[in-house]
Amino acid sequence: MKDRRLKIGFMPLIDAAIPIAAVECGFAAREGLEIELIRETSWANIRDKLIHDMFDASHMLAPLAVTTTLGIGNAKVPLAVPFGLNANGNCITLASQLYRALEEVLGHPPADPREAAQALKRVIDKRKKSGAPPVTFGVVFPFSVHVIIIRHWLRLGGINPRREVLFQVVPPPFMVASLSEGIIEGCCVGEPWNSRAVESGVGSIVVFGAEISRYAPDKVLALRDGVAAAENETVHRLLRAYKTAAHWCQDRENHRNLAQMLAQPEYLGVAPKTVLNALTGTLAVNRTETRAIPDFLLFEGEAINRPDPRKARWLYAEIMSGLGHRLDEAQAQAAASVFRPDIFDAATGNNQLPETGDPIALKYGPAFDANDLAGYVKAIEQ
Amino acid sequence: MADQAKILIIDENHVRAAIIQEGLREAGHLSVSWIKETVGLLAKVTEIDPDVIIIDLGSPSRDVLEQMFQVSRLVRRPVAMFVDQSDSAAMRDAMMAGVSAYIVDGLRKDRVKHIMDMCILRFSVFSRLEEELHEAKTALADRKVIERAKGILMAAKSLSEQDAYVLMRKTAMNQKQRLIEIARAIVTAEEMLK
Repeated sequence: MKDRRLKIGFMPLIDAAIPIAAVECGFAAREGLEIELIRETSWANIRDKLIHDMFDASHMLAPLAVTTTLGIGNAKVPLAVPFGLNANGNCITLASQLYRALEEVLGHPPADPREAAQALKRVIDKRKKSGAPPVTFGVVFPFSVHVIIIRHWLRLGGINPRREVLFQVVPPPFMVASLSEGIIEGCCVGEPWNSRAVESGVGSIVVFGAEISRYAPDKVLALRDGVAAAENETVHRLLRAYKTAAHWCQDRENHRNLAQMLAQPEYLGVAPKTVLNALTGTLAVNRTETRAIPDFLLFEGEAINRPDPRKARWLYAEIMSGLGHRLDEAQAQAAASVFRPDIFDAATGNNQLPETGDPIALKYGPAFDANDLAGYVKAIEQ
Repeated sequence: MADQAKILIIDENHVRAAIIQEGLREAGHLSVSWIKETVGLLAKVTEIDPDVIIIDLGSPSRDVLEQMFQVSRLVRRPVAMFVDQSDSAAMRDAMMAGVSAYIVDGLRKDRVKHIMDMCILRFSVFSRLEEELHEAKTALADRKVIERAKGILMAAKSLSEQDAYVLMRKTAMNQKQRLIEIARAIVTAEEMLK
């Protein structure tokens, strides 16, 4: 970060909209910033380049910012998250054969996430009896909101996500092939990969992320903690540009332009129509049915852009539950301190009182109380 | 050699993979395998059960290896990054070269350090060659455009080849642009006026 010049890493995903629009629409330039966007191929590369000073900031999976700070997984370097880039945007897709098995036990297509999970439970029980291998789900990274969403969904049907299914990391570009080759039988991934599976007849979308939680943090802007402290004027300028970009990206009037912008080869390199479907939340869920999902993908709002430390505590609790590890209050506090509303407020002049409602808003419960992580984990695991 | 490390290369570029494999063989490492296709990678890695994994940073499959830091029902032998997080210079060298390496937990790093050094070196050489090739191709393409622009000027203004070239160069200097930019403008204009 020199002379207001920044290198920012991103993955070619629709939720990189804010970092891309901030550059393309000139919002960053208006703040006096010169940004070089660098496209990456893996979250591991993103993390390593950020912690080794090859990026100044990056588009990142929200849980990865927490695990990197805590030293869960590969590295241990404190990161700071001063801005949330989106909520939702993911789907759970099942391989066509498994989806048909669900329809068979129900006698009709599943009507809602709970019914689908209950049907899956019956299929899993049958398979257990016949000695068939467990269902494996593809997820984009070991620590991602995608894993958390699948686990919540499975529990709706009484399925124990740690004992009754397997999770395997599959990079999004290989998701459809992995479904079609039977390496995985379901996945949780962002767009366009679910639509690709549906279009090619390989799978059906069974649940939208927004049907599990309205405000689960998905991707965030992450910096090294030291940079956030030392370069506050530049960081403030960046956040102001991102706030303007968030507003622009959320506005329906701009979706067509945004779709064209993201679709360009140097960014996502896909058809503009595919991007537009995700922006408007209108997706074909199987070969015959298309659904419109309100809040399919959200870019703007206080509950999205202003990093809420309670959400970081939620991510921590979910990660520990997934690993089967005990909660530790000192670690939970370290996790909470990754999310930095103070930087957001200072940069944007925000002086509203922070939100006090449930920061996660799980549609099927339980309520999340950031002061009682143990109670929350007990409630989800029961 | 009984205690030879089993090495796995994950790289979609078969030329580079061949160069790395050759280097490893020359250094006396005979137990080297290579995976190109990356669907179902975890199962393949488990089956090969390597001691050392070398992966191209351009591959999305690095995230699959992230799952291997912990033992699970799918991972019997966990791995660690070869370059320690604390060694930032070595990490940056490897990333600049476009390669990342993992070793199975418990394997002594000094035993495989020379493998890593060799891979980083060969990855660097390869990307330099690729860059040179790219530059050569661009230069060739530029020359073709300049030739075409010269031809257009010669026909339109009845100039000699030498005069057409001088005119383009003078215009480029006056407009503070590169010769190739002027040549491209001429070619584009001609296509539009056709």
